Order: sequence, then C-alpha cells, then structure tokens
Amino acid sequence: MNALEVTGIRKCFGGVVALSNGNLVCQFGKITGLLGANGSGKSTISKIITGVYAADEGEIKYNGKAIKYRNPHEAKRDGIAMIFQNLSLIPDLTVWQNIVLGAETKKGMFLNNKQAKILSQEIIGQLQPGLDINRKVSELNPGEMQIVEIAKAISSEPRLLILDEPTAALEQEQVQNLFKYMRRLRHQGVSMIFTSHRIWEVMEICQDVIIFRNGENVGAINSEVEAMDPEKIISFITGEANHRQFTKADHKPSDDTVLRIKDLNYGKSLKNISFDLKKGEVLGIGGLAGQGQSELMLALAGSFPQLKGEAYINGKKIRLIRPKTAIRNNILLVPGDRQLEGLLMNHSLYTNMIFPKLAQKRQPLFTPRKKYRKECQDIIKALSIKAHSLDTVVGTLSGGNQQKVVVGKWLSFSTSVLLLADPAKGVDVGAKREMYEYILKEVKDKQMSIILYASDSEELMQYCDRLMIMYEGKAVAMLTGEEINEDTIVATSMRIRQ
Amino acid sequence: MNAQAIRKDIRKWIFKPETSSLLIFLLMLLITVLLQKNFFESQSLVRSINAFAPLILMTMGQAIVMISGTIDLSAGPALSLMTCVLTYIMKTNDPVTGVTAFIVTLLVAVLIGVINGFGAGYLRIPPVILTFATSYIWLGAALFIRPTPGGQTVDWFKAFYDFGSVKNAPAGLVAFGKVIPPALLLVLIGCVLWYILSKTRTGRYLYAVGSNGDSAYASGINTAKLQMKAFILNALYIFLASLFFVGQNLSGDARMGDPMTLKAIAAAVVGGIAMSGGRGSVYFAIIGALIMSLVNKIIFFANIPNAYQTLVSGLIVVAAISSSMIYTKVSHSEKNKENA
Amino acid sequence: MEKTLLSKRKESLTVFYGNYKKIIAVCLLILLLFVLGQVLVGNFMSASQLLLTIKMSSFIAFFGLCQMAVISVGGNGLDLSVGYTATLTAVLTASVMDGQNGNLPQALLMALGIGILVGLANGLLIAYVKLPPLVVTLAMSSILQGIINVYTAGKNITGKPSPVLQLIAAKSTGIVPNVLFLLILVALIVTLILNKTKFGLIVYGVGSNERTAYLSGINVRVVRCAAYIICSTLASLIGLLLIGNMGTAFKDMGSNYVMPSVAAVVVGGVSMKGGEGNYLAVILGAVFLQTLTNLLVALGWGDAGKWLGFGLVLYILLMAYVSDRRRR
Repeated sequence: MNALEVTGIRKCFGGVVALSNGNLVCQFGKITGLLGANGSGKSTISKIITGVYAADEGEIKYNGKAIKYRNPHEAKRDGIAMIFQNLSLIPDLTVWQNIVLGAETKKGMFLNNKQAKILSQEIIGQLQPGLDINRKVSELNPGEMQIVEIAKAISSEPRLLILDEPTAALEQEQVQNLFKYMRRLRHQGVSMIFTSHRIWEVMEICQDVIIFRNGENVGAINSEVEAMDPEKIISFITGEANHRQFTKADHKPSDDTVLRIKDLNYGKSLKNISFDLKKGEVLGIGGLAGQGQSELMLALAGSFPQLKGEAYINGKKIRLIRPKTAIRNNILLVPGDRQLEGLLMNHSLYTNMIFPKLAQKRQPLFTPRKKYRKECQDIIKALSIKAHSLDTVVGTLSGGNQQKVVVGKWLSFSTSVLLLADPAKGVDVGAKREMYEYILKEVKDKQMSIILYASDSEELMQYCDRLMIMYEGKAVAMLTGEEINEDTIVATSMRIRQ
Repeated sequence: MNAQAIRKDIRKWIFKPETSSLLIFLLMLLITVLLQKNFFESQSLVRSINAFAPLILMTMGQAIVMISGTIDLSAGPALSLMTCVLTYIMKTNDPVTGVTAFIVTLLVAVLIGVINGFGAGYLRIPPVILTFATSYIWLGAALFIRPTPGGQTVDWFKAFYDFGSVKNAPAGLVAFGKVIPPALLLVLIGCVLWYILSKTRTGRYLYAVGSNGDSAYASGINTAKLQMKAFILNALYIFLASLFFVGQNLSGDARMGDPMTLKAIAAAVVGGIAMSGGRGSVYFAIIGALIMSLVNKIIFFANIPNAYQTLVSGLIVVAAISSSMIYTKVSHSEKNKENA
Repeated sequence: MEKTLLSKRKESLTVFYGNYKKIIAVCLLILLLFVLGQVLVGNFMSASQLLLTIKMSSFIAFFGLCQMAVISVGGNGLDLSVGYTATLTAVLTASVMDGQNGNLPQALLMALGIGILVGLANGLLIAYVKLPPLVVTLAMSSILQGIINVYTAGKNITGKPSPVLQLIAAKSTGIVPNVLFLLILVALIVTLILNKTKFGLIVYGVGSNERTAYLSGINVRVVRCAAYIICSTLASLIGLLLIGNMGTAFKDMGSNYVMPSVAAVVVGGVSMKGGEGNYLAVILGAVFLQTLTNLLVALGWGDAGKWLGFGLVLYILLMAYVSDRRRR
C-alpha cells in the first residue's frame, strides 16, 4: 500500500483546464518531488489533495482509503498538512503563538503556554537555530516567516506533509536545515510531497520525481532505480522532440531606442535592471513566476514612488515615480490582475473604456458622449469583444472579454511603449489569438514598442523579438533569435546552464 | 555593548507605544498634583476615582472590541439604555426589584452584545455602519422606557457608588469604602475579568482575528463567534459602568451616555490600542483613560469657562487621536527601516 | 449574432430593470408604508400630509447629498459632522442677516467659508493623514458643538433669516413647497454632473477601485479631500435653509439630520463602499424615512419610535444588501 495514490484528476477553472490527467504516487517515508513549468498543474494537484479545491474527476486514496476533503482542516485532522506561502500567519502574534494557533493545548481552563513554547522551540531550533520564538511575526523577514509557516504545519504531526514551493523565500542555510529536518521526518515514516522550481533541490532531497506538463504528468524518475539527470528532467518539462515552429510576425524593429532603462532598483524585488527597448520591438520578460516581472511592469508604469534608477524615453530623461508621468509619456500599462488593477467591475464597458482618458491633459468638462461611444464601438469591433452593448456591466463578461476590455481601454491612445503584464492569463486560445493579432498589427502600423510579460512561454516564443529572463529580481539572460526556444528558456529560468 | 547598540535599544524602547503612554501619564499626574495640592489625600482621591471609573470601564470594553478588529459606536447609547432599564424595573420600596433589575439588565447587556456581534460576525456588516445603526436602536429603546430622565432605585443599589449612603450599612464596610470605593472595586472586577480572559483561547484569538482575520480563519478559528464574544464582553463592561452611574445618580437618562463613545475610543487609542486591530494591551488602555481624565481635570483647574468645555474636549480628542496615529505610523516605519 | 426582435425587447427590459432595480425597490417600500399607514391609522394619505412630508423629506435629501458625496468616493467615507456644520452656520449667520435681505451676500460668503474650512480640516485628516473618517468627523462634530456653545454662552441666539431664505425654505408657491423646486434643481445638476461630465467618471473610478484610478493617473487623495470639502460646504448652505425654514437658529437644529442623511443613502441602495452615485435613489430614501417617521408619530410612538424605527430599518437593510457585506 502506498501512502497516497492519486489517479486521473481533472480540474478546470472557468474555461481553462488546469489538470487534464493528474496522477501521483507517494510511498511511506519517501519524499516525492513535483516539477514542472508554470501552469503545469503541480500546484493545483497539491491543493486538490488537501481540499483547497475540489477535483472535477478522479480519485484520491490515502492510506488505502478513498478521501475527498472539503477544506484543509478536514485534511489536517486526517494527518495531511500543507504548507502554503504565508497564508496563515498572524503578524501581531509571536512565533510560538503562531505555531500553535488553532491547536493550543490547555491546562485546566487556561492556555498551556509553557508547553507551547517548548514544542515551538524544539521545531524552530532545528529549522532556524537562533530564531527567537518570542519575536512577533511582523518583525520577521519573508524567509523567517516561511520557516514559521513550515513549523506550524509540522507541529500538527502530520503523516503526509505537502510543501508547495517552501524554499522560494529561503536562504541556502535555511534550506539545508529544512532538508535535515525532512530527513528526520522520513525516518519517522512521514511521507512528503515537495515542490520547488530549483531543480537541484529536488534532485537533492527527493527519492521520486514526478514531472508535470500541461496538466498531466509526463514522466517519473525513481532515484533508487536510476540516477537523476538534469538534462533528462528538462526534456520531460519541455517535451522532447516537440520543438514547435512558430511563424514570427512580419515586422522588423528599427534601430532607434525608444526606452532606455538603467539600474532600476526597488527594494528586494528589482535589482539593477538595465535594458534598451527599440522602436517597433516586442521585448519579452520571462522566467519563473514571481521573480519580479510584475514588479518590473508596475515600476515602468510609474506606480512606485520610491523607485530608483534612470529612465529615458526617446532620449528624454523622465522620473518614473508617478503613474501620470508614465501616461503623459505614452508608456501605458495593461495590468495583470484585471479585477484588482484593471477594471471597475461594477461599471459599464463604456465607462471603463473611456476612464483612462481622464488622465490626459485638457479633458472637456462634458464628456463628448457621441464621439467616445463611437470610438468604443470601433474598439469592440476590432478586438471582437463579445458583449450585449456598451452599457453592459463589465463584471458580467467572461474572463477573456474582460481582458480584452483592459487592453482596449488604452487602444485609442497613441502609445509609444505598451506594457503588457500577462495579458492573456486565463484567456481561452481563440480570444488570445485575436488579442495578439490586433496588438501586433498596431506594432507594425504605428511602430509601437511592447514589453510583454507572459507566464506562458509559448506566448513569449511566438511574439517576442528578444526575451529577457528574470530570476530573483535580476535580469539573468537576454535571449535573441534562435535562443528563444523552450529548452533555453527553461534552462535559464531555472538557472541550470549559465 | 557599544554605544550604537545601546542607542538602538533605547530607540526601540522609546518607540514602544506602551512606554510613551506611561510617560505621558506620569507627566499628566505631575501637572495635576501641582495644580491640586491635595490630590492624593484620601477624600479627593476617592472623588477622582469616582470621576474616572466610568470612562475606564467603557474604555476597557471598547479596547477589547478594537483589538478584535472592529469598533462599537453604540457603546454610549447602550450605557444609557442600561441605566434606563435599571431604573425602570427598580421600585424604591421593594429591595428585591434591585436584584431583578440587575439580572434583567445583565441579560439586556448580553442581548446588545449578541445583536451587534451577530451583525458584525455573521452578517459581516461593516462595524462602523452597523454600530451606527444599532446605536439608534438602543437610543429608541431607551427613550421608550425612559422618555424623560428619572426612574427609581432601591436603597442598597447606592452601594455601587458609595457604601456610606446605604441605610444600615455595616460600619466596617463604610470605613472600607472610604479607602477603596465601590468604583475601584468595579474596575478591579473588570481587570480580573480581562486577566482571566487573556489566559484563555478567546483572549488570544481576539488578537489573532484583529490582526489578520483571513489568516485566523485559515488556522481554523471561528471568526464570527469570536467577534460576537468581543461585543458581548464590551457590553458587560458597559453594564458595570451602568451600575455605577445608577448608583451615583439614582436615575436613568436616555442620552447621558452619548459623549462617552468618542471619549472611550480616544482613550483606547491614546492607550496604544490600534484602530486596525490586533495590537494593544487592555491594561494600557486603562492608562489611556487615566490620561484623558487627568487632562480633563487639568483643563478644569485652568479655569476654562463652562462654555468652552465641550470645545476643548473635542480638540483634545482630535489632538490625542491624531498624534497617537501619527506616532504609530512613525514607529512602524522605524521598525521597517530596521528590518530592511 | 442574430437577435430576434422579441429577445431584443426582453433584453432591453432586463437592462432597464437592472438599472432601476433599486429605485423600484425603494418605491415599493414607500408604497408599503403608505398602505400600512392607511390600515393602521387611517387618513394617512391626506393631501396636506403629503405636502408636508415632501417638504421635510427635502431637507433630509439635501443632507443625504452631502453623505453621498463622501460615500461615493470610497474609502469607507462618512461625515458625521454635517449636522453641527449646518447648525453653526445657522447660528452665526442669524445675527448677520438680522431679518433683512441686505446682508444675504455676506451670509452666503460666511456659509461658504465655514463649509470650506470644516471640509478642508476633515479632508486633510482623512485623505492625507489617513485617519478613519468615523473618528475624524465624530470629533469634528464635537468641536463644532463646542464652538456653538462658546458662541451662544450666556446669550440667546439673535437674528432672523433674510426673507429670501424664508421664501425658499419655508413658503410655498400655491400648494407646492418651494424647497421642492430647489431640490429638483439640485437633483438635476447632480445627476448631470455624475452622468455627463468627467467628474462623475472620476468619482466612480476612485470609489470603485482606488488602485485602477491611481494607475490611470488620477490623484486619489485630492479627489477624496475635495469630496469632504463639497460635503461640508453643502451642509453649511443647508444651514441657511434650516434657519430660513424655522425662523430662528437653535443649538440642536442640525444634529437630528445626521442619522437620516446616512440612512437615506443606505435605503436608496447606494453602495456604502463607494463607486456608485444615484441621487434619485437617495431622495426616495429620504422620502421613505420621512414617511416612516410620520407613521411612527401617527401611531403615537414619538421620538423613541422614530429612532428605534430608523435603527431597525437600517439594520435590516444592511442585512439585505448583500453586495455591500464583507465577503471572504
């Protein structure tokens, strides 16, 4: 019997298939690693196991018994604990208070704080010796917070521990301490599922490695049977013999530099980013999720008042510390999270589309309704936005159409630099193609330049002239021409080949 | 330990909200004693305690609600309602009605807490507008019961204010009351209540929910029930204050509590309770109430004419809350600079 | 996509229903009250009653506009100081006008000055220092009350409103109260601004989604501060109307309007989170509240009943307006 057997999981979000055929086996006392590119399904399957999501199809067997949890608490009671990324810590409580939160033991009527502290000290002492358990979580740095989150999951003494990207915020030493602890847990018979984007970590600590791609697992390596070969792993992730050919758009960027960025710095998210953007060029920003790409887009849009660095638009120096500055210089941002940043959900298509005009100089007092309505109609037609009328409330449209509205808002402007922050996220294939076709037409017609961040490397490969790979806030590679292929992208994203 | 480390430690200590409220309190106390030489004499001390106690109790209750991340605008009218209920049920010549009044009003207090708590915790109505609405429910109910101030009290109820004024009170108790007035006992009851609470799960969960409700929920805490408990606790503290008021004034008044709401909120903020929740100590909220009360006393001694009192009171509240919040922001950015 | 004529008509009806759903709901509520009144009291809907109701509702509606201004720009906006702002203006301008039209311009200027000052104080503390609106306006209300106390200490409030004000506020043309004309005018202007000018868009944007507005280049803090200035200035001007209506000024003139001003917005279904602005709905909300007051008074429940009723209605409506509740 295996600790965990997952078969045939299928999960869709809206129209997007996250998992088409997820399978997974975990043996007792073994650490199983999950690897895969962004959106491959490895995170989704973990969340389904612990009950954050419910699977559409498929079966999960835990200790031989079929299970289906409705929320993480049920899973925890059965001994399955999952470590999220800082989702359940209370900033104003101390480390030890957080570790026992929700599961405090009592001495009579009162809390047994002494026991809680002993338990916490024991776990923390092994994960991060020297961390004072009496400090408030709000005073810790992200790495330490992650350690506390891990300690919290461990304190419930689970039999199956799922670690979803736990090392993302950790330093080398912390990672080693974590691994030591994980090996101890192994000896106690605890099974673990470990996800990380750092391939060498997975190779170091896991006995089995399962690779996901496009919503299903495409390969498995058992370290007891064969040695872990990074190249083999990469080929599983990218798909052997599957080098797709793309027809590049028929435009040629000019030699003029429209935007020059030097030494962009912002806190811990962006470190010394420099690049030149040519007129008529599509520059892609790639890399694993969360390496600073979204921050870079926001920074270029002027939304960080404390941004450091130099920026020149068409040779003129500008200070990108206010959105208004960026907009007035025709640097426009299509934000990634359309609900949070892009749209006024309760208002009509019309209202949303004309909203950005307000930032421009000398707007008429009375909005010229007829003129604007005609412009909006044109855009709707150009992007094939499917809505009943201009007055339809945007919140009722489908994801893909909403995204088109976010893009369409800015199309009536004369844009020099269009910042696209994952424009096709969650959009179905057809809408995606329509959107990109229109955008690229603009590029060709108006010599507009684009900086495109996409979490899907397929988009990057298809549309970009150059591709800048980011890792932990730094620009680590600039790929051009032939270099823009899946293997190289994955390799540089995961820092395998230098 | 080199000089820089020592300087860093001192700065850390200064920026703790607790330290500054303690310092300000001592400062106010000093000024008060300078203005009123006999402040620490037994009789005037008792008078001061009687004057301060209601605000202290209201502040403690409000502090609990604020720690859990909400706020209670209906506290003042709730107080008024309780005084009205007490004086409605009590009939002067029947001492037993005192007991019934006590029990019924206690139940009313719990009901008030439940209605507020249900709205905030289960219906998830934003607390500001919710308690704004319920404050008028309490006001309406109070006016119903007591359209004009008045009502009756039984003799032994005066014990909540002054043992001496109760007929046939044992001499020992009266003497005791001259040193430890009933008001102080009520405050002590409040402190004991909080002490016990702070050692239980509920006490800790108040902070958890106030600090980050979503994380608390993700950790398995029933946030709705917790918020209900917070409002009920607040109502209990208001109940204690109502006992004192009726014992002192021997009447109920549907509007007497109105100014107390803002004063209690201000006192809690000055005492280091964060309006966003999750932080602060109820004991230091008491210090906040003491500071506000002493400031009022100082103003009184500065001989400001009656007409100006409301104005000055309002200005003090604005100044107190503004400076507390600005101070919190500054100390937070100090902390962030340290960590970065 | 081909659409048949019938489905097109059904669709436009659905859109119409959606847009006016809240207004229809309020109208139904008002109707309900009238029916209740007729059943319980009888002779509830007399013509003179109706006109008086309309007149009193107008005052609530004016204050409701103040609240709508700060609520619609989001950030949990609320202004509890509108009552005393109006009272302060009434008290201070009473002696300036002294029963004549001559000093009306001065009085107007004074009103504007007071409104702008109070609004600026509120706006700066709320939008820039980021203090909670509740606390700031509550404290401001206390300060204004204090100022009124100082001013009126020991003396009676003298002065009468100018006849022009009395004409507008107290008198009627034929059977129609003049305030109604003023209300209609104000309502038209407000609706025009919100629906047809860029200011309306800015309000909707800032209230709906602060971040989107910021990323679109709008200065959110200025907008919110301006909202408080507008609110207090309007409240101040209403003070002139109040004294025009009553003939004199007294200390508690405005404070009873605070609760109804907020309640009118809630009853009208305008979102407390911001991003919406529907003055017609607020006006109807005001009518509902006044009708409710009349009903409660007719039942003999007086002041107690009025506040109790308001509080309960507000509580129930807050429960019902699901979209406004905090969602997990």
